[in-house]
Amino acid sequence: MTDNSYLPQIGRIADIQEETRGARAIKTFQVEFPDSEGFEHDCGQCAMLSIFGRGESMISIASSPLVKEYKQFSIMRMGRVTSAFHDARVGDFIGVRGPYGNRFPLADWKGRDLVFVGGGVGLAPMWGALQTAVAQGEDYGKISLFYGARTAGDIMYKADLERLQGAVEVQLSVDAPEAGWQGYTGFVPANLMDKAPSSANAIAITCGPPIMIKFVIQNLKALGFADEQIYTTIENKMKCGIGKCGRCNVGKDYVCTTGPVYSWAELKDLPQEY
Amino acid sequence: MEKILSKDRLREWVDALDDCEVLAPAFADSVWNYARVEAETVIDLSHTNTINPPKQFAFPQREVFFRFERADGVPRLTPTLPDPRPTVVIGVRPCDGRGMPRNDTVFSKEFKDPYYWARRERLVLVGLACNQPHSPNCVCQSVGGAPHAEEGLDVLMTDLGDRFHVKGITAKGGELIARGGDAFASLQAGDPAEVARVHAAASSHPQRPVAELGTVAEAIRARFDSPLWEEMARHCIGCGICTYLCPTCHCFDINDEVTNPNHGTGERVRTWDNCQFPDFTMHTSGHNPRGDLGSRLRQRVAHKFLYFVENHGTQQCTGCGRCISECPVGIDIVAVVDRVSRA
Ligand SMILES: Cc1cc2nc3c(=O)[nH]c(=O)nc-3n(C[C@H](O)[C@H](O)[C@H](O)COP(=O)(O)OP(=O)(O)OC[C@H]3O[C@@H](n4cnc5c(N)ncnc54)[C@H](O)[C@@H]3O)c2cc1C
Ligand code: SF4
Ligand code: FES
Repeated sequence: MTDNSYLPQIGRIADIQEETRGARAIKTFQVEFPDSEGFEHDCGQCAMLSIFGRGESMISIASSPLVKEYKQFSIMRMGRVTSAFHDARVGDFIGVRGPYGNRFPLADWKGRDLVFVGGGVGLAPMWGALQTAVAQGEDYGKISLFYGARTAGDIMYKADLERLQGAVEVQLSVDAPEAGWQGYTGFVPANLMDKAPSSANAIAITCGPPIMIKFVIQNLKALGFADEQIYTTIENKMKCGIGKCGRCNVGKDYVCTTGPVYSWAELKDLPQEY
Repeated sequence: MEKILSKDRLREWVDALDDCEVLAPAFADSVWNYARVEAETVIDLSHTNTINPPKQFAFPQREVFFRFERADGVPRLTPTLPDPRPTVVIGVRPCDGRGMPRNDTVFSKEFKDPYYWARRERLVLVGLACNQPHSPNCVCQSVGGAPHAEEGLDVLMTDLGDRFHVKGITAKGGELIARGGDAFASLQAGDPAEVARVHAAASSHPQRPVAELGTVAEAIRARFDSPLWEEMARHCIGCGICTYLCPTCHCFDINDEVTNPNHGTGERVRTWDNCQFPDFTMHTSGHNPRGDLGSRLRQRVAHKFLYFVENHGTQQCTGCGRCISECPVGIDIVAVVDRVSRA
């Protein structure tokens, strides 16, 4: 990397997968660095992606650090920049700077059960950690994933989720009854309560819409998870990614450098500004 | 290094700095502001304070990060790191001087900001002590400074009537004085006592207290969820003047500006931004972590008097008083801190 933090590397979109459709569609991009070295990252870190002329957006790096050939990003169509990504094609060039933020302390969790709890596009920020834990499966106890979406059509990474069955106990849910649906019907926090994973020697990681996270944490605590056993990520609006532009703060913390990963033990003492 | 500069030889010193961009306060459109010193400029250092603090000389309102264009379908980026001439700003008031090291901290930390530092390293601040506070909103002493504080300045001048006492504070400042050569004279026997007398007289003017400064951070933390914030912010019109004119506010936005859509050419640009705007923190979904006026006023005040203290051990307010004097609806940070502290 150059010492000019604002200057992106040029990445090339090598693959695009359509994950979900609709107004808030999600697409997954694999990005390579044809003319530069790219960068190493840790689970939970993000990158500032840009389409020149449209602007920048902070996006979680969804691939595992073990994957060196490309970086994976799953992007939900929201506004200006994310829509430009949805209009992009394989072979297009984008700007990438990073990695930014802290990481999931995966190494500290060795020997423990891992309970991932996600909703919507919230699977992306924890996907790298999940993939890494699965690849190093002998280091961890039981790995489970509770993932929910509005409808079956809104479930992302479908093929991967099927492939993971066995290595991971995958518990899927949809919000409302749906013909032919085999999984749980109801919200993610309810599915979690229904299956009641053991909190003994476990770590829970939850990402998704703020309202889901709130109830997931409530339920995890009811299941006996201590504040130190619960991890989540925060997505405040970001521009610089390097603790200068001032907008992503929660209290004294700039989420772009001190976060986005927080244990509930750390987060519960910060102001509710996220 | 300490010297005496007769007021009628100030121009001689400035003329010796011919490879530098020199700026000094000038009165135009009913305000004092920094303007480039030209051959015909008569430098007038009788200013109160400039409407803009000197932060703009390291952190301009608009900064192009790089230009982009498309060549055979591939984007090509040309960084536009500034390469300015050495820039000397004369007449900087000590509150503004104290602002600069605070900005230096922000633009360093884990990531050094190359654009800021390209300008900052070539910047020399020549301060002018205040012989009396020029506004009832000057609270430099109440936030740990002084009308003759040296922090952040390279040179401090003190007005002794027909002459200036000129003190080099940094190596950069010493070199700048040395370049004035014969324009400067040595101190006479009575000069140090005269300087001390002028400084003491300036300090003896009473200033509004910023509560009990050492307890403000704790008070803000304790009253974080108080309805007082919304009450005190209710008439804020969200114009952002308070932060744009602040010597230490540093928040910014980054946007792409397209100059030729057909050729994919444009610039990525940094511009000043503002925590008093709702859009500052609003997500695309509409969710806004600081969606009301109260939380935004609290952010401005807590950043200066709580978060900066927690992160860097000092207040981020240097007491210039601009945000009080220039707010169109009279929101007064000293009064806000005072009320929160007493609540
Ligand atoms: C740490 C982090 C990780 C994220 N990971 C992902 C991810 O993996 N997948 C995904 O789809 N989205 C992710 N987001 C959200 C994503 O950054 C926003 O949806 C996106 O920036 C919206 O940009 P836009 O141009 O489409 O919207 P517009 O509203 O048109 O853009 C305005 C600008 O505001 C900023 N902005 C607006 N909302 C947000 C927001 N919620 N978070 C950050 N910046 C915002 C951006 O700088 C954007 O350029 C993440 C956000 C953060 C902070
Ligand atoms: S200057 Fe006054 S009205 Fe304008 S944003 Fe600041 S506090 Fe609000
Ligand atoms: S994104 Fe700029 S400070 Fe965090």
